Amino acid sequence: MKRFGRGGAALVVLLLLWSLGPMLWQLYTSLRTPEALLGDGAGPGGGWTLANYVQVLHGAPPFWRYLLNSTVVGAISTLLTLLLAIPCAYALSRRGGLLRLVVSGGLLAAAVFPYVLLFLALLQVARQFGLANNLLALCLPYAGLSLPLAVLLLQAAFAELPVELEENALLEGFTLMQRLRWILLPLMGPAVVSTGLLVFLFSWNEFPIALTWLSRSELLTLAPAMARIAGSSVFTVPYGAFAAATVLGSLPLLALLLLFQRQIVAGLTQGAIKG
Amino acid sequence: MRLRALLLMAPALLLLLAVFAWPMLEYAWLSLHAQSVFTGLEPVPVGLANWQRLLGDGRFWQDAGQTLRFAGVSVGLELVLGLGIALLLHQNWRGRGVVRSLSLLPWALPNTVMALGWRWIFDDPNGPINALLGGLGLATLPFLASPQLAWIATVVADVWKTTPFVALLLLAGLQMIPADLYDAFALEGGTPWQALRRITLPLLRPYIFIVLLFRLAQALGVFDLIAVLTGGGPASSTESLAVYAYLNAMRFLDFGYSATVMLGMFLLLLAGSALLLLLPRGQEVRS
Amino acid sequence: MTDPGMTTTTSAPSLRLDNLTRRIGGRAIIDGVDLAVAPGECLALLGPSGCGKSSVLRLIAGLDTPDAGRILLEGDDITRKPPQRRQVALVFQSYALYPHLNVSRNLSLGMEIRGVPAQEREREVTSVLAMLQLTELAQRLPAELSGGQRQRVALARALLRHPRVFLLDEPMSNLDAQLREELRPQLRSILCAGSAPVIYVTHDQQEAMGIADRIAVLSNGRVQQCGTPKDLYLTPANMFVASFIGRPQINLLPQEDGTVLGIRPEHLVATDDSGIPVRVLNREWHGASQQLLVSSPQGDLRWTCDGAQPIGEGLRLGWDRRHEHHFLKTTGARC
Repeated sequence: MKRFGRGGAALVVLLLLWSLGPMLWQLYTSLRTPEALLGDGAGPGGGWTLANYVQVLHGAPPFWRYLLNSTVVGAISTLLTLLLAIPCAYALSRRGGLLRLVVSGGLLAAAVFPYVLLFLALLQVARQFGLANNLLALCLPYAGLSLPLAVLLLQAAFAELPVELEENALLEGFTLMQRLRWILLPLMGPAVVSTGLLVFLFSWNEFPIALTWLSRSELLTLAPAMARIAGSSVFTVPYGAFAAATVLGSLPLLALLLLFQRQIVAGLTQGAIKG
Repeated sequence: MRLRALLLMAPALLLLLAVFAWPMLEYAWLSLHAQSVFTGLEPVPVGLANWQRLLGDGRFWQDAGQTLRFAGVSVGLELVLGLGIALLLHQNWRGRGVVRSLSLLPWALPNTVMALGWRWIFDDPNGPINALLGGLGLATLPFLASPQLAWIATVVADVWKTTPFVALLLLAGLQMIPADLYDAFALEGGTPWQALRRITLPLLRPYIFIVLLFRLAQALGVFDLIAVLTGGGPASSTESLAVYAYLNAMRFLDFGYSATVMLGMFLLLLAGSALLLLLPRGQEVRS
Repeated sequence: MTDPGMTTTTSAPSLRLDNLTRRIGGRAIIDGVDLAVAPGECLALLGPSGCGKSSVLRLIAGLDTPDAGRILLEGDDITRKPPQRRQVALVFQSYALYPHLNVSRNLSLGMEIRGVPAQEREREVTSVLAMLQLTELAQRLPAELSGGQRQRVALARALLRHPRVFLLDEPMSNLDAQLREELRPQLRSILCAGSAPVIYVTHDQQEAMGIADRIAVLSNGRVQQCGTPKDLYLTPANMFVASFIGRPQINLLPQEDGTVLGIRPEHLVATDDSGIPVRVLNREWHGASQQLLVSSPQGDLRWTCDGAQPIGEGLRLGWDRRHEHHFLKTTGARC
């Protein structure tokens, strides 16, 4: 590579420091004793501990409970979203004209809508229908909020497939379900995976709705649990237990992102530009 | 065929209407009612009283200004930094795939998790920054206790988290530009800096537009970060409109006015996006 | 004016199109097309791109719906029948092989969907693979096949459909020129083996003449002429057909009486003194033949002659009156 010498290398190091530094600092903090964090000279070899993790995992409820709740909510929301978005995206991609224009326009508007504005009305719904403190019910607004982006991304993926493939299947006697099952969806693997991951990511991270719908501590998902930890004075100083919680709360997502990075990038960019 | 298309879309569209359209109607109704502890949490029609209060509410307008300043500065910084990172990752060097993956990580973190992390980093006096300042014999900085510094802290945290997303989209845009163009431009005697201005930026415009659209909308609705990092303080100096609306509903239990605040914010956003859409979008890049 | 194309067909038609019309945005892309195809006959739809020939195929297949007219297949009206129930096979220009399935899965999936028992599927696939020399390739994915191999897989899939009519949309256009000529006889023998009629869409007149029993020339959504390749060459119904059939293009010389005289380049001959004097503008020598562009008092002329013909000064060209075609300047029709 031409002209990518020392200056470029320095920029790369800077970029990695900036991106990873704060996270590594959390990891470091989570492994230090309170005394070491407060600078009460524990010597270079001392001050390391797993006590922070033990404390977090033995809380009431234990921290893994929040991870489990978030995983359940994320998985079900993702399935529900895909179930609703796939037929809708298919129909949208196969139609021209006014209907498509109106629906895609509406979807784009909804996709950029700051959904935090909706929490109060959604809370009213939850109270009215007794959906508060119900993890399964929480998946409904999550699916609804994820639908605009999901439909736009999948719609772009359907539109990419050559129309002759489906027409040939039609002539061979495939029904709509058979065409989706045997021809279209197998060819859209990357787009379905990336859309699913984005929905999972959203549901896992969502804060304001979870905060207002869930109050029983054993039902909390990760985001409101974090906020609750932040608000409770037990943890304020030192931060060791905090940091252990942030590390545990981040690891599953970081693993997912590293595993499926390629699909996420491809799906996101394709949909964003064509959508 | 049209009927079948509608049937396939119906479940998704119904849920969308329930989640997006119905709340707006609910707010419109609620904004014409008082529903708070003073009314025993029962809705009482009050006409336009909530809207009158909104127009004269200094805190609402102050928060609107703060939200706009936060979004403008953060998104601006993210765009510049993101473009720089995208250009860096677009170069051909060994290990850039790994670096790209690693630099994307902050984007996947839950907002609340990373806000907590930054709270510790900005801690006075035990956070790493102040520890460093202390170690150098300088005075520590009360990051989260001073309005200016707290505001900077929110911007830094937001830029740290969302720049990877911006860089990712811009990188995809860069990869759409045929390398031939740069070769031809270089043969004509253009410098790399001129190439950036005359080729890269114009062809990147549709991508920049989309990034702006998504990021501005998100930043204007900022809630999680501020709620956890500063709680809107000190003295509501970092409070965003979304946080204010939340406080009205959940802390002051004034649902009628909270709905009015949210509708007011929605109308401001609508006006803003109308302005943005009037800007020229540039020609589409075809692959 | 247009020949309905029934003259050379003796048996009852297997497929008939009656006044077929399709409009898109107020413009008729197919405008009152009448055609009849006999059992086992191969009809080529020939025309320039955008003339509506592929649209005719899509209407027959049921992928689009006509705005007027009828489609009769073996006597029953299939105009409004859904494509699944028409029992027609269409070989797409892109071949439309399912990219995620190997060759044998590409062939058997459709039968599986239609409920053909596994044993019979196996037997049929094996026999069609053998017939098209694809046995070795059965486990390959479409991406691992050459263009010609892909075409054969698409044909095999169409054959397994046991269609009542075969539709082929430019099946050669993705192949290189040499392969095209090689495959023509093979394609013809496969297509003509059964009793189902074949409709073959192409923009290449050589291909149409090489494969089809009859050719329908389409332009602007209308059938200009339908007949055997020989009919079209010898008695083109109008100036469009005359120009479209035969390479190099026919010379069209406007006359003073409001007609146009047509004379094919291969019918011009060098004469001593009775012909018109010409001057050579360009000469392409192809070995067995040569093609010249010459200027004459009547305008520039294309001339094809023997490669051994000496080209000298004072060249004069003439032709046999029997080779003349006359068209009306106003409508282009033969007169």
